[in-house]
Amino acid sequence: MSEAVSDPQAAKPPSDAWRAVRRLLREPLGVLGLTLVLLMVGGAIFADLLTSWDPTRINPRDRFLGPGAEHLLGTDQLGRDLFARVLHGGRVALSVALIATGISLVIGIMLGLIAGYGPRWLDNLMILLFDSVKSFPTVMLALALVTLFGPSLTSVVIVVVLVTVPGYARIIRTQTIALKNSEYVTAARSMGASPARILRVHILPNVIGPLVILASMDIPVVIGIEAGMSFLGLGVRPPTPSWGSILNDGFTSIRDTPWIAVAGGIPIILVTLGFTFLGETLRDVFDPRLKAR
Amino acid sequence: MRQPFGQPSRRSVLAGLGAFGVAASAMPRMAISQDGRVLRVRSYSDLQVLDPAFWVSLPEADIITAIYPPLVAPMPGDVWSWKTVAAKSIEQIDDLTVAFELLDGITFSGGHGKMTAEDVKFSIERIADPDNESPYAGDWSALDQVEVTGELTGLIRLKTPFVPLWTTTLPTPASCIVSKAAFEAAGGQVTTDPVAMSGHYLLTEWVPKQRTVLTRNPDWPGEPGGFEEIHIIPIEDPATAELGFEAGDLDYTWTAVSSLPRLKEDPPAGSVVLEKPSLAYVWLGMNEAVAPFDNPNIRRAVQHAIDRQLVVDAAYYGAAELGNGLVAPGLPGSRDGVTYDYDPDRARELLEQEGATGITVTLDILNQSERLLAAQVIQANLADVGINAEIKQNDSGTFWSLGASDSPDYDTMQMYLQRFSMQPDPSWATVWFTPEQIGVWNWSRFDNARFKELHDMGLVEADETKRDAIYREMQDLMDESGSFVFFTHEVVGVVHSEDIAPGLKPNGEPLLTEFKSA
Repeated sequence: MSEAVSDPQAAKPPSDAWRAVRRLLREPLGVLGLTLVLLMVGGAIFADLLTSWDPTRINPRDRFLGPGAEHLLGTDQLGRDLFARVLHGGRVALSVALIATGISLVIGIMLGLIAGYGPRWLDNLMILLFDSVKSFPTVMLALALVTLFGPSLTSVVIVVVLVTVPGYARIIRTQTIALKNSEYVTAARSMGASPARILRVHILPNVIGPLVILASMDIPVVIGIEAGMSFLGLGVRPPTPSWGSILNDGFTSIRDTPWIAVAGGIPIILVTLGFTFLGETLRDVFDPRLKAR
Repeated sequence: MRQPFGQPSRRSVLAGLGAFGVAASAMPRMAISQDGRVLRVRSYSDLQVLDPAFWVSLPEADIITAIYPPLVAPMPGDVWSWKTVAAKSIEQIDDLTVAFELLDGITFSGGHGKMTAEDVKFSIERIADPDNESPYAGDWSALDQVEVTGELTGLIRLKTPFVPLWTTTLPTPASCIVSKAAFEAAGGQVTTDPVAMSGHYLLTEWVPKQRTVLTRNPDWPGEPGGFEEIHIIPIEDPATAELGFEAGDLDYTWTAVSSLPRLKEDPPAGSVVLEKPSLAYVWLGMNEAVAPFDNPNIRRAVQHAIDRQLVVDAAYYGAAELGNGLVAPGLPGSRDGVTYDYDPDRARELLEQEGATGITVTLDILNQSERLLAAQVIQANLADVGINAEIKQNDSGTFWSLGASDSPDYDTMQMYLQRFSMQPDPSWATVWFTPEQIGVWNWSRFDNARFKELHDMGLVEADETKRDAIYREMQDLMDESGSFVFFTHEVVGVVHSEDIAPGLKPNGEPLLTEFKSA
């Protein structure tokens, strides 16, 4: 005991990250969100370990089986195991969400920094561009792109990037404008720092935090876009399972069995709730001023 | 804190929506047709061309025959026969001559005057004229000329006897009469903006992808149409249409074949479910002009790779029988089997022989649930022999023009899953696979001189036994090409409100002018 007290490491105050985790774990909704997210992500990563069924193996003689010991969530209209399809569909949803959100963040940050720090005419031009892209209805944009490139995972990612980049870029631009005349940026500029260094070292670290939290809250939106496009036949190609295509199968077979629609809908609901609860709690933890809003 | 009145909270909005939902669900199924004014029917595709010489899909043919009266039309009921519409009388005088007299008093809308025999001559000859490149020129391939003998009378003269004249030519849009003056003024053809209508109904509104409205023609001199208005709602997916019917948004719809067992067992309240024998044919086609299907052995490998019975069972839930060609049972040329069998080992052998193991191909389908189910079984069968098939779902506008020579997909499309509707004569099926149809409806670009020769023979051969042999041989030639895998003729499922009496052909296809209130 005395050794522990004398240990300088033990006396060191907990880090910001650890304090944030502890605060997150004190929030019931945060814990629920984290649990749901871990469950869905874990299910997607370990899909091959959690089920032995091939999600694309068809067996029409076993169509529309209800949930049971052999098929935990039953089977679809082609006799495919729904549990396996839901788990593997999670891979599609989460990989689209992570890849598309990551690309959107990178592009949005770069464009936002350029718009906010650059000359006025460039700012005006980029705002016009952001608003033009943003004004396209998502479904129309998706239809146009799928007509050009055909339905695929790549098309889904392009749609998501186009839909989300303007929002991220606008936020970064606003914060960059607010910071570019602050004293420490002016000081750096007077000491001869290049615009690239000012943006990278002095502005970016101060604007990126809230954006990452915002992006985590956008993940359900992205998953919704992917599911919606796959529901309409514009997303991933069959037989690759996707929550949206499972939902579509459920829709067309709703009078034969409700289980397909349930199997496709539940993960979308859970992952949406999970990321929303987690994102809101993270936002409250990192920026308590926003909690009251 | 309470929200001030007029600023609804999220909770109050949700409560309001919930109350609305409960109230809506408590209301009885509404049907506008109950007052006998408006009929709402579903079509499986939207309009593209409303021209008797150039129509694209069956729903367009329904509308065309409602706005441009044909000389004769199919009789509603369970037996294939016909009745006069624009013709007051029509009869075959000899093998090469048909005499007709028009109903007096048919007038074209838009001030284009009275329908005369000159209009009949113009309407028929423009379809037959090779210069016009009508895809339905084959319907009038035996036509010599239409001779006008009076204001309302004329003779249809044929070069050779033409057996399908009374089954698949006259009772179809091929005998619809348009105004010569109006069509010439419109540049020779129309698309979605028809001119000078004169049938039971007039097209009064078209909202793309939403509805087409036909309004009863007050000037039609014969028996009037059964409804003041017919609203035609394009809904591609039959499952969606069934939900629309059950929600009370439709009075009549075709159903998915796979839904028939369930609907027959438990029909929606206030509805009638019908099952009709279908003449349609569903097949997988391969494009002989595009690699890898320019190699006949790879096409044959696909034929051997596909378990046709499994495809049909999976896509239609056992409601449809396996089909063996273009020609449905009961018509001359119907076959009991195909000339290839399900033999995945043979398919692997052929692929290995051609060095084509592990190839990737694209399968184009219409974005519709039964097609998607069938395509996924085909995909699994092909994967089993080492062919990776990527399914490409297309909306109807894109899909129906895939094989046209002016389509951007013309030189890239590899495989397609297709369904054609059919009239009660085998020549109406074989005509689409003749060399003249390459770039139009012959998407496989199947080019066989013997097939064409047999097709021409079938048009003039009156002996049923000989016709049977002709059409069997033609389908055998299609099998031998390797480019076709035949699946089924389906059945037609229809569900309609008890408040209407639908006018249906024996195969369940609608005759809009024959729908009445019950």
